[in-house]
Amino acid sequence: MGRMLLILVTLSAGLLLAGLWIPLKAVMAQELLTLAWARTQAAQQQSPPWPWADTWPVAQLQLPGESSALVVLSGGHGESLAFGPGQVVGPEPGVQPSAPVVIAGHRDTHFRPLEAIRPEDPVRLQFADGDWRRYRVASVRVVDSRQEQIELGRYDQNSLVLVTCYPFDSVDASGPLRFVVEATRDLSHPVSALPAGA
Amino acid sequence: MLPVQPLPGYRRPVRHRRLTRKQLRRMEGASLWLALLMLLFVQPLFVEASEQQVAHGSGQFHFLHGQERQAAPVLTTDYQVTVTGLLAETRLRQRFGNDSDQWQEGVYTFPLPENASVHAMTMTAGERVIVGEIREREQAKREYEAAREQGRQAARVDQQRPNLFTTRLANIPPGESVTVELRFQQQILYDSGEFQLSLPTTLTPRYIPGHPEAAGQREWAGGWAMPTSEVADANRITPLQVGVNDVATGSHQATIAVELRTGVPVGRVDSASHDITEERNGNTIIVTPSAQAIAMDRDFRLTWRPERGREPTAAVFHEQWQGEDYVMAMLVPGEQDQESLTRELVLVIDTSGSMAGDSIRQAREALLAALDTLAPGDAFNVIQFSSQTRRLFPTSVSATADNLGRARRYIRGLAANGGTEMAPAIQAALNGGDLSPGTDLRQVVFVTDGAVGNEQALFSQIHRQLGTSRLFTVAIGSAPNRHFMRQAARFGRGTYTAIGDLSEVATRLATLFRKMQSPALTDIRVSWPDGFDAGTQVPDRVGDLYLGEPMVLVARGAKPNGELVVSGALPGDRSWQRSLALGQAAPGEGGHRLWARGQVDRLLDQQRTGEPGTSIREPVLALALEHHLVTPFTSFVAIDSTPSRPVEDPLEPAAVPSLMPAGSAAQRIAYPQTATPAPLLMTAGLIGLMLAGVLAFIRRLWRV
Repeated sequence: MGRMLLILVTLSAGLLLAGLWIPLKAVMAQELLTLAWARTQAAQQQSPPWPWADTWPVAQLQLPGESSALVVLSGGHGESLAFGPGQVVGPEPGVQPSAPVVIAGHRDTHFRPLEAIRPEDPVRLQFADGDWRRYRVASVRVVDSRQEQIELGRYDQNSLVLVTCYPFDSVDASGPLRFVVEATRDLSHPVSALPAGA
Repeated sequence: MLPVQPLPGYRRPVRHRRLTRKQLRRMEGASLWLALLMLLFVQPLFVEASEQQVAHGSGQFHFLHGQERQAAPVLTTDYQVTVTGLLAETRLRQRFGNDSDQWQEGVYTFPLPENASVHAMTMTAGERVIVGEIREREQAKREYEAAREQGRQAARVDQQRPNLFTTRLANIPPGESVTVELRFQQQILYDSGEFQLSLPTTLTPRYIPGHPEAAGQREWAGGWAMPTSEVADANRITPLQVGVNDVATGSHQATIAVELRTGVPVGRVDSASHDITEERNGNTIIVTPSAQAIAMDRDFRLTWRPERGREPTAAVFHEQWQGEDYVMAMLVPGEQDQESLTRELVLVIDTSGSMAGDSIRQAREALLAALDTLAPGDAFNVIQFSSQTRRLFPTSVSATADNLGRARRYIRGLAANGGTEMAPAIQAALNGGDLSPGTDLRQVVFVTDGAVGNEQALFSQIHRQLGTSRLFTVAIGSAPNRHFMRQAARFGRGTYTAIGDLSEVATRLATLFRKMQSPALTDIRVSWPDGFDAGTQVPDRVGDLYLGEPMVLVARGAKPNGELVVSGALPGDRSWQRSLALGQAAPGEGGHRLWARGQVDRLLDQQRTGEPGTSIREPVLALALEHHLVTPFTSFVAIDSTPSRPVEDPLEPAAVPSLMPAGSAAQRIAYPQTATPAPLLMTAGLIGLMLAGVLAFIRRLWRV
């Protein structure tokens, strides 16, 4: 009985630790990514955060009400989403943008703040050129990923789409619902070189 | 702050601006590195757990149903086309292979030629061949659903658009395949001495305007769009579309064989879309793509020309079907003089997201070529549309070198993105039919892929707003919506031109511009000899004919005798008349179907242009049931008599995706997986710990 109890405690503690490890990793990785982002901006070239990474920082995203900006990684695959929001679609360097920016993030780590986002909220985005682009949330909706896909044709190059899972407090990691925030660029404000959080 | 040094490589972190904290940073960095090393060992486990995208990277397409990954049926198709005279008869086989270990219900939405009449269907399941019956659409649906619930194999084919159909297959056994065979007839396009046949294999995703409607009770159709205020059946015309690497190996492959029995000596046979091989055997030619199987990611297009000087200028065919005589006549008015009228040319270009990729390049070339045809004295304007409509000039301007230069720069800078809000663009282009001062005629060239879901509303709009304008549609891309192109041109009293490849732009447009600069034959009247039912002639009214275009007429009622007389008007009060002796008719099949399809189209037109007070449903139904035609109101259904699926076994729905058209930029992407197993792990861990606590507590109680 004593041994079984010990095994149960160890296993449960292991699970708990593994569960806690994911958000911890997400927070810690952002620290490393901030450095890599600084390098990217300074050198104006892709700079992997660690030598064997298959993703690299492409932008910084400032969500409303957050004290610091999130470093956005390239690609919307699990590899990048574990460390930061991932840019599924975005501008290519040196090419006139013709598509919207689509960024996905985990609902239980980086994109948790999206739960409180409302239309008209400001969102800001900085690419390697250092300019902060201002966006304003146009709509917030929930979609079923089994029936819908992200339709790029609906958006223009001044759109920003943030995607995360829904509902926010679900324990099911492979649920079909997605929370989609659509923002359009606020062109009345010229780009500004303000630092994050200012 | 230190200047940033151009270090060799950027492995080493750039020195941070807060130098006083340098050491602290280093320690923090080192510990994070260690932590990262550790987590990267654990990482692959999580990645595997959290990556369940619908279509990601290469590998088989999976349809997410509930929480399970469901393999889509493997699709292969075979087209056997026989061309006789002006008609092509195609036997299309669609084979659906179920590779999963579940019973599946397959749904496949697919394109057919825009003038195809589907007139027969059979289902082959294993050894059994079941001949499909034509039924009223709702009844077909009921019969199909009843069979599905009883575990019987069943197939049903519905028409969603004149060029878009849906095959449903109930109870495909695990590990087996079912074949649906369709037969359809289409009219061959004959224009400027060239015959054209196109077989679409996929579609360009259609833009769905309007606001989403509240979800109601709907049959599952596997579409990516929700019904909207303007497109009530959006969910049925928007199949998921994936890249060629996202389907199982060998899926979405087509084999094609076209047999040409034209009756005239054929010179060249060409395909702008595929490499072809031809095998000549007397008067018949068998054409196949050089590759054994082709990917279903673009239209298969074939053109052939009679030997020089042997181009037919008239032909008559006769068919007797169920005691009725049907006569089909073709007449080419022939070359007409060039005329020198001043024109107002309005160039409209679709710059929506579906045009991204090769299409927008073709479209830009087309517009630049159109600008070159302008002569001094002409006026022009350029309009682009996507979510918004923009004009280059507020009103049309004269074709001066200065203005043309501006237009060329503007066109070269056009990029494709956004929605396809076509109605405002049509309104701006037609401009109420008001002519620019000093010009004789107003021509609109409309360059698009026609990827819209609200075709009907747009046709009505063109019909209402046309005025004195003429609308010429130019179809762009590997899989344009030809139904839209052809009908828009018909309502716009212009012509339709298809461009599938950048190399074709010059030749196809040269033909179009020749047509636009030649006088059109208008006010065409047809008089049939006695005995024919002229009131049901197809088409009921012959539209304007441009240079090189034939008129094809079908009538029923009498044996081919006497003379068919056709007259028309040319500009400058000149008249034109031609007669055709019907006695020389050759036997030909399919005339009755062409006639019946024409009657159905005429009735549907009446509804479209809003002639009130008549119910078209009953007459269309009667025609379709008599001639075995799939229409908006009739479907084919085939049902096996014996059940094969035990009713207690589950039936999984499985949508068969279509491929994205070749050369198009990715327009639609799956939502990524955006949740981690953290809450689940933490919850499980906490529950385990609580359980352990409870157990420990109980044990203590026991001891006491």
